[in-house]
Amino acid sequence: MAFFPWKRFLRSKTAWFSLLVMLVFGLVAVLAPWLAPHDPTKWSFSQTNLPPMWVNDAAGAGVAEFPLGTDRVGRDILSRMIYGTRTSFILAFTAVPLAALIGTLLGLIAGFRGGRLDTLIVLLTDIFQSLPGIMFMVVLILIFRSILAPTWLAGLVTLVIGYAAVSWVSLARLVRINVLMIKSRLFVEAAAALGASRRYIITHHLLPNVLHVILAWIINNIPAIIILEAVLGYIGVGVTGATEGGEFNVVSWGGLFFAGRSAFSRNPLILILPSLSLMLVCVSFILFSDMINEITHQEQQ
Amino acid sequence: MLQFFLAKFLRMSAVVLGATLIMFLLMHAIPGNPWSNYSESTRLLLRIEADEPVLNELTHRFGLDLPLWRQFTRYVFGDFNGNGTFFCGAICGNLGPSTAQRGRTVIDVLFAPPLGMTFWKSEFGYSLRLVLLGSIFTIGLGVPLGILSAIKPKSAVSRIISVAMAGLSAIPNFVLGLLAVIVAALWLRIIPVVPYWNNPYHWLIPAAVLAAMPTASVARVTRASLMNILTEDYVRTARAKGLVEVRVMLVHVLRNSLAPIITFLGPTLMEMFAGLVIIENLYGFPGIGREYFEAVLELDYPMIMGLTVFFSTGMIFTNFMVEIICAVLDPRVRSVKTKGLF
Repeated sequence: MAFFPWKRFLRSKTAWFSLLVMLVFGLVAVLAPWLAPHDPTKWSFSQTNLPPMWVNDAAGAGVAEFPLGTDRVGRDILSRMIYGTRTSFILAFTAVPLAALIGTLLGLIAGFRGGRLDTLIVLLTDIFQSLPGIMFMVVLILIFRSILAPTWLAGLVTLVIGYAAVSWVSLARLVRINVLMIKSRLFVEAAAALGASRRYIITHHLLPNVLHVILAWIINNIPAIIILEAVLGYIGVGVTGATEGGEFNVVSWGGLFFAGRSAFSRNPLILILPSLSLMLVCVSFILFSDMINEITHQEQQ
Repeated sequence: MLQFFLAKFLRMSAVVLGATLIMFLLMHAIPGNPWSNYSESTRLLLRIEADEPVLNELTHRFGLDLPLWRQFTRYVFGDFNGNGTFFCGAICGNLGPSTAQRGRTVIDVLFAPPLGMTFWKSEFGYSLRLVLLGSIFTIGLGVPLGILSAIKPKSAVSRIISVAMAGLSAIPNFVLGLLAVIVAALWLRIIPVVPYWNNPYHWLIPAAVLAAMPTASVARVTRASLMNILTEDYVRTARAKGLVEVRVMLVHVLRNSLAPIITFLGPTLMEMFAGLVIIENLYGFPGIGREYFEAVLELDYPMIMGLTVFFSTGMIFTNFMVEIICAVLDPRVRSVKTKGLF
């Protein structure tokens, strides 16, 4: 990474925009307990279905205590938004690296060892790729729901494992192809001829050369899991405490989507705000990865 | 040649079998059985009045009392039924009876049209039409936009396109779907809120929403692929020898960058069938995506298996077609690919 063109990077407006958005949302995620005005899981039955505080019409008037109103069981929307940011960031920074680890390991083994093992791993990636991703995750969540306790941690673990199980495939393929290409290059042959051990070749020649592929994949997949969580929450099999029953009590944007879906005519903000913040975060990650691609591409010429 | 196709066929069968096995094990790990996942009130509502002997009889008839491995071989290869005759399983195209939709087989539910209608009116026909329309959007918008932004990478147009595509791939499709309904149905009043599926105009919004994310990713892949080729030496040579820019673009750049684009397009278009789950739930569309989702929630085992077989076969077949098209397009691939067959 020493050759990374920092100057060009720091001069671009896109970089500053993305970094700013990530920083703001990151801060919100870290400081959630101090920022949120209420406990996001506390029910208050005297104040259910409140509109935002500036609304005052026949259907009801908002109170300053709940700035964005409350949901069906009287939980504060603003607090749920803030804690939801936290969930999204924790997911992004645990599930994606876990998937990356699995994908890198399998891709590296397949590409480096070759032979029977390679065939087997490629077959495995084909099998996982040919399963419909969303349904695979829905089924996994339904299973985990039944065996784990409905806590915040268990919900997160479910999503992390589910996502890692689905998404390692694309990285494994990428890493394998790249390793195959690098393996046939002269410097690897030279290292092998000089008597370098396998471990040395892997850690000093292969890994550094596929590192940029892995990093790009990680940045690209962070928006993917944030969106996936929202989609799963929306269709109602997420890990949120949106409905009663044996579900995980995770406060997340997906859960807000689920709540906002039925409350759309009454309080559209429940749906609009998480959508906007989700879009901001995802756009900044996507633009960020685009820009890094472009800069390194230009630098190589 | 025959050996090549035979090896390919064996491999594809192995992949479909593996995918089916994984889904089979996972769906049996979900607690409950097809008859237990209704609450007492739903039972009353649906008039499910089954007592213990009836439930036992049902369980026996659908083979759910067999050990798991027997159930799997029964599904895939076939089994002897009560009076000793052999029936063939999924390998003969018999996907079994649906447990949730009484009296109908999975094939019947998915592929049989209502009485007196054409194939396009079946559940699969509906989904296929939606996916085809979405594919037209994806290819017709994604590829040209990608090309446009690659030709002049530093222009304002390219910048706008890349930001718009980033935005498009950052919206969850259900939000986009709701937004589209609000704008088109409530503000512009082009279509009614509740679509009427016999009117082709009402298909445009679901298809556009379905195509949104694939379009964005296809545009980005097209752009990246073209940018890679644009810096090649032979493109510079072509320009240096005075070829018209259009000819350079079409013959030298586009043709050579087509392979990665098609490699990406194939699975992406097939993934749309999985994306249907969300879109069909959102619009109440009578297709296989909603069927899949409901089957998982109701634990309609044969239906889940049938749709998984269908999806993974489609995916594998698409990848196979992509491989062939790439080999036709690019002679360099042909010689490499034949080395490692299986």
